[in-house]
Amino acid sequence: MSRRAADRALDRDAAAGASPPVTVEVEGVSMAYRLDTGETLRALDRVDLRVPAGHFCSIVGPSGCGKSTLLMLIAGLYRPLSGQILIAGRPVAGPWHGIGMVFQRDVLLDWRTVLENVLLPVEVKRLPEARYRSRALALLERVGLGEFVGAFPDQLSGCMRQRAALCRALVHDPALLLMDEPFAAVDALTREKLNVDLLRLTTEAPKTVVFVTHSIEEAVLLADQVVVMGPRPGTVLRAFPVDLPRPRGLATRGEARFHELVDEVRAVFHTMGLL
Amino acid sequence: MAAMARIDRTARVRRWDPLLRWARQSGVVLAAYLCAVAAWQGASLAFHIPGFLLPSPAAIAERAGGGLPQILAHTLITLGEVLEGFLLGAVVSIPLGILVVYSRLLERLVYPFLVAFQAIPKVALAPILVVWFGFGPASKVMLAFVTAMFPIIVNTVIGMKQTPPELVYLMRSLEASELQIFLKIRLYAAAPYVFAGFKIGITLAVVGAIVGEFIASNGGLGYLLLAANNNIDTPLLFAIVAVLSLLSITLYYAVEAIEGILLPRPLRSKTARIEQRIRP
Repeated sequence: MSRRAADRALDRDAAAGASPPVTVEVEGVSMAYRLDTGETLRALDRVDLRVPAGHFCSIVGPSGCGKSTLLMLIAGLYRPLSGQILIAGRPVAGPWHGIGMVFQRDVLLDWRTVLENVLLPVEVKRLPEARYRSRALALLERVGLGEFVGAFPDQLSGCMRQRAALCRALVHDPALLLMDEPFAAVDALTREKLNVDLLRLTTEAPKTVVFVTHSIEEAVLLADQVVVMGPRPGTVLRAFPVDLPRPRGLATRGEARFHELVDEVRAVFHTMGLL
Repeated sequence: MAAMARIDRTARVRRWDPLLRWARQSGVVLAAYLCAVAAWQGASLAFHIPGFLLPSPAAIAERAGGGLPQILAHTLITLGEVLEGFLLGAVVSIPLGILVVYSRLLERLVYPFLVAFQAIPKVALAPILVVWFGFGPASKVMLAFVTAMFPIIVNTVIGMKQTPPELVYLMRSLEASELQIFLKIRLYAAAPYVFAGFKIGITLAVVGAIVGEFIASNGGLGYLLLAANNNIDTPLLFAIVAVLSLLSITLYYAVEAIEGILLPRPLRSKTARIEQRIRP
């Protein structure tokens, strides 16, 4: 598929407005794990968070602050100890139907080609394959994997693999994208490329995104809102609106306002004694 | 002019290089083996080693040629026992391995038994199996089955646990059923491990069948070994040992060939990696 054809296919999807983004509300959510030793480990303590529809929310915080736990709760994969999570105004009980997920590890299926990997959600959800096949091809073309649709993952670099994983998360056009440190395992240069990919994809087809990261720069560059979480048991320390104009790109990193915001976020870590 | 000729020659050498290297390497290996056999033959003649102690290669070949119909008939009996025992092992072990992974209770119930069972030298079971299943092939099939079973179960269990947790989360976030997770993910992730278990299992099944035939039997290569031993027919003993080696190798590569047909390419290379890790 040519670049232009890919654009057309994705535009058509956007015009069809298959799934408009949703609001995510986290209300007083606490979470604890029962350890093998019988002790309980408090992971989250009365977390409140609101991500408006179509907003990109970055969550930063020290290791073990419950960022990933929060993501799993929003995905409906864990159940909170108390409090509730609302997606599109409805309480979450189990996985909601319009979710796309990306993890730190790409977890592509080695035995499937890139295209078959991207089509996994379509298969699982039993969506019409013919229609989504062209969408999958368009997405892959868009992230520069057009020539690799028939390749097996072990023939791809780490960057290309993570791009394929991103396409897999987007193929069924989810209204909510949940990303758990998706770019933490790649080198700095690759990370920048993937950031640009993600900026482009989420600008073209707006989605509500919850994005967990360790990198303050990455958090600010991508987000409409940066949420800083404190150490265990995790709480929301502060939420910063990011007023950088869109569309953004790598040039955004050169803007004075970008650095101001990064410094503001970093200052929270400093006052917490985390840096 | 001279430089061009040199370049030309290098190019030609390079084109033939892989083939030449292969021929050279396998040629060296083949020559080494031929030398060893020739030395054996020479030593037999030069030192007049008695044939009942160490028969010469020529004597073994002659005996094998003369007894070929007999050896083949008994090979078929053993092969049948091995295949039946192995298939039974695969059919029982894979579901058992899967159940152990899915049920904590079953895992706690079955594992101590499995460990205790594996600690038994399987030879010790042979008399019991003969009492239960008689002198015929059935008791050998059962011994091949119990010997082949363990590596297949263990590898199935390990294989079923290979699915990364993120993948399970991803599937659940897509509202996948447990059956879908099993059929689309776990089964494939486990397949290379299961096949590695098959390869160990099939060679162990040969051991089981032969040991069974040793204990009490009226046919098979194990039976023929004992018969040759009673007749002090050492050349036949050597010939049977060679056939057994050939049989095990053939079965091993047969499993590998089936794997090659059933598994997609990336999973096949994974099996090779697993085996390297398993080998001592």
